[in-house]
Amino acid sequence: MQEKASDSETTAKPVVSGLSRRARIMKRLTFIIPVVILSLIIFVAIFADLAWIGLPDVGLAPYDPVKMSLPDRLKPPFWDEDGSTAHLLGTDKMGRDILSRLIFGARISLSVSLLVILITSFVGTVLGILGGYLGGRTEAFLMRITDISLAFPPILVAMLLAVSMGPSFTTVVLAISLLGWAPYARLIRGETLRLREMDFVAQARVIGTSPFRIMLRHIFPNVINPLIIIMTLQVGLLIITEASLSFLGVGIPPPAPSWGNMVNDGRNLVDTAWWISTFPGIAIALVVMSGNFFGDWLRDKLDPRLRQL
Amino acid sequence: MVRFIIVRLIQTVVALIGIAMLIFVLVRVSGDPALMLATAASTEEDIQQIRVNLGLDKSIPEQFWIFVTDVVKGDLGKSLFKKRPVTEMIGTALPNSLKLIIPSWVLAMVGALLLGVLGATRRDGFLDNGVKFIAILGQALPGFWVAIVAVFIFSVTWQILPTSGLGGIDHYVLPVCTLGFFVLPGMMRLVRSSMLDVLDSEYIKLARIKGLSERRIIWKHALRNAVIAPLTVAGMLFAMLITGAVIIETVFSWPGIGFIIVEGVLARDFPLVQAIVIMVAVFVLGINLIVDITYAYIDPQIRYQQT
Repeated sequence: MQEKASDSETTAKPVVSGLSRRARIMKRLTFIIPVVILSLIIFVAIFADLAWIGLPDVGLAPYDPVKMSLPDRLKPPFWDEDGSTAHLLGTDKMGRDILSRLIFGARISLSVSLLVILITSFVGTVLGILGGYLGGRTEAFLMRITDISLAFPPILVAMLLAVSMGPSFTTVVLAISLLGWAPYARLIRGETLRLREMDFVAQARVIGTSPFRIMLRHIFPNVINPLIIIMTLQVGLLIITEASLSFLGVGIPPPAPSWGNMVNDGRNLVDTAWWISTFPGIAIALVVMSGNFFGDWLRDKLDPRLRQL
Repeated sequence: MVRFIIVRLIQTVVALIGIAMLIFVLVRVSGDPALMLATAASTEEDIQQIRVNLGLDKSIPEQFWIFVTDVVKGDLGKSLFKKRPVTEMIGTALPNSLKLIIPSWVLAMVGALLLGVLGATRRDGFLDNGVKFIAILGQALPGFWVAIVAVFIFSVTWQILPTSGLGGIDHYVLPVCTLGFFVLPGMMRLVRSSMLDVLDSEYIKLARIKGLSERRIIWKHALRNAVIAPLTVAGMLFAMLITGAVIIETVFSWPGIGFIIVEGVLARDFPLVQAIVIMVAVFVLGINLIVDITYAYIDPQIRYQQT
């Protein structure tokens, strides 16, 4: 192995072998564009307003996202004849500014996703490592639950919670998290099974390390890469799920701006006011696509074995 | 094999009890379902009466026992707003959902196999890039948005297809296609990648050496093994179809399960929502059981490993 490596160093090879120049540029672009889009959206979500440092009147959003203004109803975007630069992307049927709602919607979508990712990755990792390392009945039992959770439509759990607790931010996060740990548990268990058989784990066991310490200090650091990959790949899925729930009226309750309920607002007006539903739809697609591309890139970088994800 | 099936059956029943408990708890997390039914005009006595009617005055274990025995008997209660037994409502809605889900499923499967195989055999070609593009788009665009845009284009602008509701064959085109498109990309990706793996294997090389025609190698020898991977995700596919159906039925006012559950949630009709969730849970467990048994039948290793 060593000799081969030094051999290839002496023969000047292109950095990325097997790819044409065009393909390499494309590959770079599929990394740069998503990263730019994602950073932009995160930036916009954070600085939508500065209420969190006590300055509610300063921020990127031109208007209050829930403020209604009936004289300004159904204004088209600025490039349309009837549009004006006062409302760059137009207004909805209650005269609320679409651009401001999009910006605040980004904050809601991203915070739901972030919270869900933190909860589910923690639970999934703990269960995955426990199942994979302990084996036996524990594992069989955990994997059964995982299979069922993977096959259960999260939308129905959300509906059950919405009907009992009423739709709210907490309900959405709870509902998506309740099943969302399953993909983590499945992947981490697989990785743990592989790591368990490795020499360094066996050696740790031989010198009498406790199972808890092995799981925490020896297994966990080695599953961080796949964990990060799956977390990134989940972003898109979570944003779509949240938007779908809000669209159906069981997610973020109006008037709070969520991209999903914005699409719903414009649903019956597509023929007269296309912009109400179109812009949030584009926003969702952009973020989801960027998240997926970034996740793919990260996977190729960190752990190409996981191509199936 | 018999032992394996018995073990799995017991596990399924245990899982079902677990899910019943979970549903029972989730419906009651808000504290008092009676308050959800109470109107502004109800007095304290009215609320008490509702509690007695719902059996909420009994102890929690007692309530759970009543709930379980009722479910086993198939008595899922009455809808709070339509005042009809929920089983009857599901009975009328389920066939409508199946009329939507089955054609979409067939469409998505056929499309995924065809495009996935074509993509894999012409790797990095024009067609493969097209397939990848559809996959990326299909996974990024939210289903409800695609459906709305489709209605706008085909029903509002061109006026060649109806916007919503049940009816003749033309009523099926948009809902079936949009629901199919919801499921297709994931399947297609899976077929493509497992086809690529299979095409790399030794026995395909052997088939080539034997001089079989390329068409025969791909569509007969390779495809047979490549379809196993998509089958392993049958459970997830089911979840996706149900999610998709709820959304598509809402957009197209298609009177199926998805449509009535959304109505039920908005009206806070918890017996109805609960009944549909239980029904789907039974389906999910049933599918898992069938998939597992099929696997054990195909691959004896699984049988010995897990019993």
